[in-house]
Amino acid sequence: MLAYVIRRVFFGLVVLAGASVITFTIAYVAPADPAVAVAGAKADPQTLATIRRQLGLDQPLYIQYARYADRALHGDLGRSYIRREAVTDLILSRFPATAMLAISAIVLSLILGVAAGTLAAAYRGRALDNWLLVAALALLSMPVFWLGTLLLIAGGLYLRWFPLGGFDGSLSLVLPTLTLALGAAAYYSRILHASLADALDQDYVRTALGKGRSRRAAILRHAMPNAILPLVTIAGLDFAGLLSGVVLTETVFNWPGLGRLAFEAVFNLDLPLIMGTVLFSAALVVAANLIVDLLYAWLDPRIDLGGGQE
Amino acid sequence: MRANRNPTMKFRLNFMEAAGAAMVLGLAIAAVFAPALAPHDPVRAVAATFGDPAPPSLAFPLGTDQLGRDVLSRIIYGARISLAVGVAAMALTLAIGVTIGLAAGFLGGAVDSLLMRFTDVMLTMPALLLAMALVTVLQPGVLTVLLVIGLVSWTQVARVVRAEALAVSRRDFVVAARALGAAPARLILRHVAPNVMPIIVVMAALGTSGTLLLDAGLSFLTLGVPPPTPSWGRMIEESTAYFRTAPWLAIFPGLAILYAVMGFNLLGHGYLRRRGRRASTL
Amino acid sequence: MAPTCAIFPRWRRLRRFRPFPIRVAAALLAALILPACHAGSAPPIFPPGAQVLQLASLDDVPTLDPAAGYDVDSWMFEQMLFDTLIRYSDAGVDLVPDLATAWTAAPDSAVFTFHLRRDARFTNGRLVTSADFKFAIERVLDPKTRSKGMEYYRGIAGAADFAAGRAKSVAGIETPDPWTIVFRLNAPDPIFPHKLAMPFAAAVPREVVARYGEDFSRHVVGSGPFMLRQWIGGQRIVLVRNPGYFVKGAPRLDGVIEAIGVSEDLQWFRFEAGAIDLSAIPPAVFPYVVKTPRLNALTMRIVTMTTRYLGMNCRMPPFTDVRVRRALNYAVNKRKLVAVINGRGIPANGVLPPSLPGYDPTLPGYPYDPARARTLLAQAGYAHGFAATLWMPADQTMMILGQSVQQDLALVGVNLRLKPVAFAPFLEAIRQPQTVPLFFSGWEADFPDPANFLEVLLSRAQWGANNDSWFYDPRFDTLLAEAAPIANPARRYAIYREAQRIAVANAPWVFLYFPVTWEIRQPWMHGLVLNPMRPARLDRVWLSAHPPAK
Repeated sequence: MLAYVIRRVFFGLVVLAGASVITFTIAYVAPADPAVAVAGAKADPQTLATIRRQLGLDQPLYIQYARYADRALHGDLGRSYIRREAVTDLILSRFPATAMLAISAIVLSLILGVAAGTLAAAYRGRALDNWLLVAALALLSMPVFWLGTLLLIAGGLYLRWFPLGGFDGSLSLVLPTLTLALGAAAYYSRILHASLADALDQDYVRTALGKGRSRRAAILRHAMPNAILPLVTIAGLDFAGLLSGVVLTETVFNWPGLGRLAFEAVFNLDLPLIMGTVLFSAALVVAANLIVDLLYAWLDPRIDLGGGQE
Repeated sequence: MRANRNPTMKFRLNFMEAAGAAMVLGLAIAAVFAPALAPHDPVRAVAATFGDPAPPSLAFPLGTDQLGRDVLSRIIYGARISLAVGVAAMALTLAIGVTIGLAAGFLGGAVDSLLMRFTDVMLTMPALLLAMALVTVLQPGVLTVLLVIGLVSWTQVARVVRAEALAVSRRDFVVAARALGAAPARLILRHVAPNVMPIIVVMAALGTSGTLLLDAGLSFLTLGVPPPTPSWGRMIEESTAYFRTAPWLAIFPGLAILYAVMGFNLLGHGYLRRRGRRASTL
Repeated sequence: MAPTCAIFPRWRRLRRFRPFPIRVAAALLAALILPACHAGSAPPIFPPGAQVLQLASLDDVPTLDPAAGYDVDSWMFEQMLFDTLIRYSDAGVDLVPDLATAWTAAPDSAVFTFHLRRDARFTNGRLVTSADFKFAIERVLDPKTRSKGMEYYRGIAGAADFAAGRAKSVAGIETPDPWTIVFRLNAPDPIFPHKLAMPFAAAVPREVVARYGEDFSRHVVGSGPFMLRQWIGGQRIVLVRNPGYFVKGAPRLDGVIEAIGVSEDLQWFRFEAGAIDLSAIPPAVFPYVVKTPRLNALTMRIVTMTTRYLGMNCRMPPFTDVRVRRALNYAVNKRKLVAVINGRGIPANGVLPPSLPGYDPTLPGYPYDPARARTLLAQAGYAHGFAATLWMPADQTMMILGQSVQQDLALVGVNLRLKPVAFAPFLEAIRQPQTVPLFFSGWEADFPDPANFLEVLLSRAQWGANNDSWFYDPRFDTLLAEAAPIANPARRYAIYREAQRIAVANAPWVFLYFPVTWEIRQPWMHGLVLNPMRPARLDRVWLSAHPPAK
């Protein structure tokens, strides 16, 4: 088990290194001079040259990367070109807002998704199942920024129940949460529906039904425990994604989270901040993968710890 | 197969596909015959509503925007760029994903681990952020947008194709053919490709709905196909300043996106259902 | 506000009843999630009844460090926190004392002497002396600071040696006593005092900067009318009154709170609810505000010292031909452009905006005349038009304006391809020779002087820097050189006026418009004065009694 954990952590670090190399390369080949980002639009060539030297931009790519990696390994992700603040400070200052949204969205989407998925499975082949499928597909077909805008128009502008975006007390959390949760719930309901349907076809469930168990009991007591596992896996990975910020939803609602920060970083080609936000979200995904895999290994001893396929 | 045991279900599933096909056909017609269908030029000012969009009226059924352009005509023309980018990006996604997936699954060994590790790296990176960075670096344009969408969305395809290829290549007849010294390329073409074809068809449909959404998202972030080419995502983005007084500017292009994506989703999911496969395996 | 409630009374009663379960669910959810964030907002900063100005803005303030900030948001707060030797008057662009009581310029405009007041203190209690100004400017000149203001102080004698590390201090800044500071320049520069009115040159306490280094922005200590109390990234920034401010009775406010992450639309809603005292006017409600007398009376507007233009690369065909450049000037409908931005601009007649000293009201500019444009194009050999690419920053307003220009030019046969790019690559591209044929740009004045436009944007010396249209006219450059050392305003402006006529006749730009800033304030907010070049100062603002926010 310990060897397995060490192996997985090592591979996680390799993946992170790969992600950092790709990001660094993209930002490096950008047709923009970071010195201009630092010195501003009006700077004269002399100032730019000075700043380029200051930032080590006159060095070859691999040296710049090595320097970056060395500092990153010591916990220093550099300073934003635009804001001049430490990237770690910036990320940590935006993290609480993003985390609030992520937690509420994942909770709500699981509640809605499990309810809809269970209902659909219980009414398999009947009208409700069809309607739930169509509703889920419609939600999955909506651009999230449009759904957000609609909710803003409906809930904020006409009904005036909720603030029109911004980070302003608990009510401001509702619309962005709904925006994120509706799409995810649709997805989760389909996954749960599928795995419940599989489980219902299994012999032990058929046996239970044959013994006179109600359909409801068969679903909830017998099928659900197995069927919920894949959903938990996917939701776990989604949660990591949510925690690293959601650009579109945060943009629609002016939510001061990591997504907006990353958007800002890309728009300004603020290299240290781009690197920081990408690495942060990659690290979250790697960690979530690791946790999910370890949970599986712990729950199900049959899983091959030797690595192998998948 | 379950569908055959249940005639009503069979009808329903076919209905999903039929509805999807009809919707996609409608989209294609709008795209191809846009000049004939659209009542106005989508780019020129046809009403003097500068800075003050006008609500739907008889002359302009979906209203006009802040540059005096007809919203209906822009939506019809928008089908062109959406369909073109969506389908081309999907083709690129499939091309990259299938190549990598087949190579990894069939060749195995070091090639497999290397490719899959690379896929892991790509999966770890936030796709939208990566796409934004790439578009910013390469500078917006039709070609850039579809290239970038292809580059960030192939990972899922590669994984699925690899799994399929792995399964097929372990079957007896393929193992035997291999033992007899058949060339890998020939094996892939004769045995593996036909077996993974159905799954590729599904991924093409579902993949297009994904690329359409990504394209719309990039446009919304002002990183899509540059104006004045009418694009639905950008129409929504341009309307944000007016969402309080002119919500129709945001609502109609959004419905268009919903329609297009839903068409492809229905096609893909309908097919999956008829074949008895579950979307969750994708 | 009242009108909406009065029109739909029954509807209101209904909605009171219906949302209940949703609100309960939201509150429950929030109770699960919110505890972490509640910790930050626990103790109230201001006692009840305090005069606190409520503001809102979409973007966070980039920085509060005077050496780093170079944008409206940063400068607005830096002005409240720090003092310079001299500054602009509230409404105008004439220089008035700030921490200096008097100053003199040598006849050749190469030596400037300032005398400081002796009662100004940093908020850590220490007196502000001439050494603090010397330190501030040396900090800006130090390459390690990576300041955007470096170039403005390079003309001081010894600045180059200091920046290169050859000298420990700038020889040309002398502090004979704590209340006197002398600047010696390499060459005459009549506008040098304006550079000392930029926040870059504000006094900063060396001991605090040394303690926090690059994090000074988060721990600013200055001598200005306000002090930083709280700054939560992306959420809000709170300033409180500096009780030791050297101007008696100022500021009148007890504090300023700016909520961050509030879009213009949201600002408007909060304004209507009485929750903020000053707001931007979003495009969607602009016509309504202008038409409603009650609201129109509360608006404030000012023509900023800014020019928006379409640069044409004079070294790339077809823009090498002056007839083509003039044709484009006639072809773009500037009134329509201004209409698209809700009339918040004045069609431009040339390079220099109306609020700038030296502005030439008699300059006719180029009226909208597509027929004349077509004739000129035909004369230049483009009877059937041509295609070109217009580069612009990928910004919502810019792209709308770009599409408006694209519509206009299509009518004279010029087909534009729009190329929106991120701001950084945009800046990079327009500085390269033979790269960008046509681009959207604008310039905000750094000093109220024609040189800041004509010399910076159109002189040969600025090729590859800020002269992005690669314009060159020898007579124009000669006139600029002639005007530069002249301190007498009348003589100086007369020469610049002639230079501007040459530039307009050669049409290196399509002169688009001079933007007008609009704000709306609550009836209970008093004493606010907008300035054409700087963010408004808040030290004389006060609030009369007003109803609590809804």
